[in-house]
Amino acid sequence: MVNAFIRVTDREKKKQKGRQNSNRDFSLDLTVVFPYIAIFMLFFSTGDGIEGLRKWILFAEASTAGGGGGGGFWSYYSVVSPSGIAIAVTAMAGIALAATIVYSRRGSLKSPWALRKRKYALQPKQWKSLFTPDGKLGDGGVKFLKKVRSGVFTPTNCDVCMLNRYDLNSSKEERDSIRRQKRKEFERLRKRCRQILKRVENSSTVKETAGNNCNEDSEDLSQVVDSSGLEDVDSGRRSTEGESPMVDDSENSSKVKETAGNNCNEDSEDLSQVVDSSGLEDVVSGRRSTKGESPMVDDSDRPPRGQSHQTLVSSDSDSEGGIDKSEITCEDNSPGETESSGSDTSDEDENIPLFASEITEENNIDKDDNSSASRIKSRSKSHADEDFATWQRIIRVDAVRANDEWIAYSSTQALVSEMKAYQLAESVGLKEYDHLEPCRIYHAARLVAILEAYTLYDPEIGYCQGMSDLLSPIISVVEDDSEAFWCFAGFMKKARHNFRLDEVGIRRQLNIVSKIIKCKDSHLYRHLEELQAEDCFFVYRMVVVLFRRELSFEQTLCLWEVVWADQAAIRAGITKTSWGRMRLRAPPTDDLLLYAIAACVLQRRKLIIEMYSSMDEIMRECHSMAGRLDVWKLLDDAHGLVVNLHDKI
Amino acid sequence: MAYKVDHEYDYLFKIVLIGDSGVGKSNILSRFTRNEFCLESKSTIGVEFATRTLQVEGKTVKAQIWDTAGQERYRAITSAYYRGAVGALLVYDITKRQTFDNVLRWLRELRDHADSNIVIMMAGNKSDLNHLRAVSTEDAQSLAESEGLSFMETSALEAFNIEKAFQTVLLDIYQIIRKKALAAQESASGTGVPQGTTINVNNMSDNANKKPCCST
Repeated sequence: MVNAFIRVTDREKKKQKGRQNSNRDFSLDLTVVFPYIAIFMLFFSTGDGIEGLRKWILFAEASTAGGGGGGGFWSYYSVVSPSGIAIAVTAMAGIALAATIVYSRRGSLKSPWALRKRKYALQPKQWKSLFTPDGKLGDGGVKFLKKVRSGVFTPTNCDVCMLNRYDLNSSKEERDSIRRQKRKEFERLRKRCRQILKRVENSSTVKETAGNNCNEDSEDLSQVVDSSGLEDVDSGRRSTEGESPMVDDSENSSKVKETAGNNCNEDSEDLSQVVDSSGLEDVVSGRRSTKGESPMVDDSDRPPRGQSHQTLVSSDSDSEGGIDKSEITCEDNSPGETESSGSDTSDEDENIPLFASEITEENNIDKDDNSSASRIKSRSKSHADEDFATWQRIIRVDAVRANDEWIAYSSTQALVSEMKAYQLAESVGLKEYDHLEPCRIYHAARLVAILEAYTLYDPEIGYCQGMSDLLSPIISVVEDDSEAFWCFAGFMKKARHNFRLDEVGIRRQLNIVSKIIKCKDSHLYRHLEELQAEDCFFVYRMVVVLFRRELSFEQTLCLWEVVWADQAAIRAGITKTSWGRMRLRAPPTDDLLLYAIAACVLQRRKLIIEMYSSMDEIMRECHSMAGRLDVWKLLDDAHGLVVNLHDKI
Repeated sequence: MAYKVDHEYDYLFKIVLIGDSGVGKSNILSRFTRNEFCLESKSTIGVEFATRTLQVEGKTVKAQIWDTAGQERYRAITSAYYRGAVGALLVYDITKRQTFDNVLRWLRELRDHADSNIVIMMAGNKSDLNHLRAVSTEDAQSLAESEGLSFMETSALEAFNIEKAFQTVLLDIYQIIRKKALAAQESASGTGVPQGTTINVNNMSDNANKKPCCST
C-alpha cells in the first residue's frame, strides 16, 4: 500500500516537473481544493492479465457545479494483479498525495485529461452500477458520458455499443428489442450478400456446367452483371468511363461472354433472368438512387417485379409491414416504440418453400431499400461510378491486409479455431489468405461480412478504402457480427460523409481544421498561406481514418471513445449546463476529432514555421507521426481549443 | 515539373505511381526509396510520397515519387497530384486480369490531368507469382507498343526490376528535358538569324555548339 503511494507520488512529481519545465503556468493551489478532497485507492484486476502491468490511473470525478476550483474528489485507480478488487480509503495519505497532484491554472482546475496516463476497462460491477434497475443509464447517461469523456475507459463491447447504437435513455428491454430486430435486418443483408455470391455460382454452373463449388469467385459477380447487361450498371459505367470496359471486367468475363455468344440466345436470357430475380437488382436500384438521374423517392414505387410477385407473398405482407415500420422506428432511434417488432419475431421459424421465401426475402429487401432510400433522400446525390462488384473486390484486398494489432486485445478471437476461421472465410467468399494465421483469417472474414453488408445498407457510400481501418477496432472489441455491424453503421452516420464522392464532407472538415488553426495561431496560418497549404490538405488522412494510422490500436480506441462520447452527448441533447457540473469545461462538440487534428498540427507549429517551406514537407511530417503521438496530450490540447474557440468556429 | 536547383541535386523530377487498388504501388515505392517490403502494407488514403536521390547520366536527380490511392473514390484528390508530374509508373498486377484491363482507363486519367509529355512506364507487378499469372507478357507488350509506353514486369517482393523501371523513367525524362533545352536554344538562335548581322549569326551558332546555355 505504502509502496503504491510512493509510486504515484514519484510519477506525479515527475510529471509536475515536466510541466513546469514546459513553461506552462501551473501553481499549486491547495487552499481551494483541500477540504473537498477524498482519496480512493482501488485495486482491481482487468481480468485478462495480458500485459500483467501495473497501471495507475487517476481521474477526477465531478461533483456539484463549480466554476474555478470548485469541489471534487480525486480517485486513484490502479491495476495491480489479477486477484480481484480491494478498495482502501486512506484520507491522510491521500491528502499528502493530493498536494502533489492538484494543480490549478488561472484559478481553476485543469482538465483531468492532463493527468491521465492509463485507462482501464470498467469492471462488470462498476458498469452495472451506472444503470438503474430497469437497465437505464442513471441521469440520462450524463455520468456515463462524463466518465468516458474524461477518459477512464478502455472501450468494451458494452460502451462501444452504448455510444454508437443505443439511445442513452433506453432501458434494457428496449435495447434487447432493438437488438433482436436489428439482428434480423443484419441477417437479411448478409443473406443478400450470400445470394449474390450464390447467383454467381448458379450462373457459372449454367454457363460452364463445371459444377464449381459455392463461393467460387466473388469476382464472378461482375461477369454476371456484365454479361446480363443490366441497364443501370451499364449506363452508369458508360456515362463515366467511355467505351473501355474497365470496372467490371474480371478474369473470366470475356470467357463467359464468349460462351454466352456461342451458346444459344436462350442461355443469356436465362442468365439475365437469374440476375434479375436475385438481390442484384436491389444493388442496382441502390446505385440508381445515387446517380441523380431519378430522385430517391421514385425508387419507392419502383419495382414492377415486386408487384408481380405480390400474390405469392401476400401471406407475408403483414410481417413485412412490421419490419418496415420497425425499421423506421429504429431510424428515428426511438426505441420506445418498438413494439411493432413483435410482429416479425414470428417469421423467424416460418417454413416457407424456398422460392416463396426467396421472394419474401426480396420484398423485405425492397422495403429495406425504400427505408434507406427515404433515409438519404434529402442528401445531395453523388455520382457513384463504382459498383458492388468493385467494392467486393477491394473489400477483400483490404481485409486480408488488416494488421494484427488487435490480437492482444481480443483473446477469444485470437484463439479462434482453424476450422471456424476457414468456414467463415468460405461462407463470405474470402480467398487468398494463405499467408495468414487462423485468427487473422477470421478477422478478415468478419471484415468482409460486415463491410459487404454495409455496402448494401448504404449504397450511396458503398465501400471506400479506409473503412476497413474504421471497422477493425470495432470488431475486435465487439465480438458479435450483428452488434458490430450496427455499431459501425452508427459510427458511419457521421464518418460516411468523409467518403462521399463529391468530397463535400471531407472539405467541410478540412475547412474547420483550417479555421481552428487560423483562430488559434494566425502566425502559423499565415505561414500555411504562404505555402498554399491553408486548405490543410496535409491532414487529409487523419480526417478520413480518424487518426487510425497515426495512433496505436489502444490509443485509437481511447481517442475514438472520447469523440463518440461527445457525439452521443450531442445526440442525447445534453446541454452545456449539465456539463457545467462536470468540471470538463469544454462543451461536447461534434468535431472533437478536428480539434484534436488541429492540436496535433499546432503542437508542431515551430517546426512547420521554421523548417518547412512546402506543403509536401508538412504532409510528410503528418504522415510520419505514427507512434509519436501522446493521445492524452492530444485530447487535452483539443479540449483547450474547444474551450477557447467553440463559439467562434 | 523539373526544377533545377543548384545545391543538393541538379534536377527534381516528380513521378506518380498509379494503378488499381492492391497492385503493389506502395510496396514498389518502399522498395525503391527504402528497400523495404511489407506484405500487409495498408491501403493508401489519398496520397503519400517519398523521395530518393540518384545519378542519371552524371547528374544528381532527386525523384519525388507520389503514391496514390487506387480506388476510384479517391480519384478527384489523387488526380490533383498529377499536375507537375513528369513521369508515371502505371502498375497492374499480373495475377489480376482486371487490373490490367484498367490500364486504359488510367491512361485516360493521365491524359486528362497530367502533362501531355509525361513519360509513362507500365509495370506488371508481382512477377514472383508467375504460377498465378493471368496476364501474359505478350499481351502487356502489345498494349505497351500500341499505347507508346515503356513496359517492364516487376516484383517489389523480390526487388526485381524496380530499380530498373525507375531508372528507365528517369533517364527518359532527363533526355526529354535535355532535348527540350537544346531545342529551345536552337529556336533562340533561329530567331536570332534574321535580326542579327552576319557576325552575330556566327557567334550564336558557335555558342550553340559549345555551351548548352544562352548566356551570350
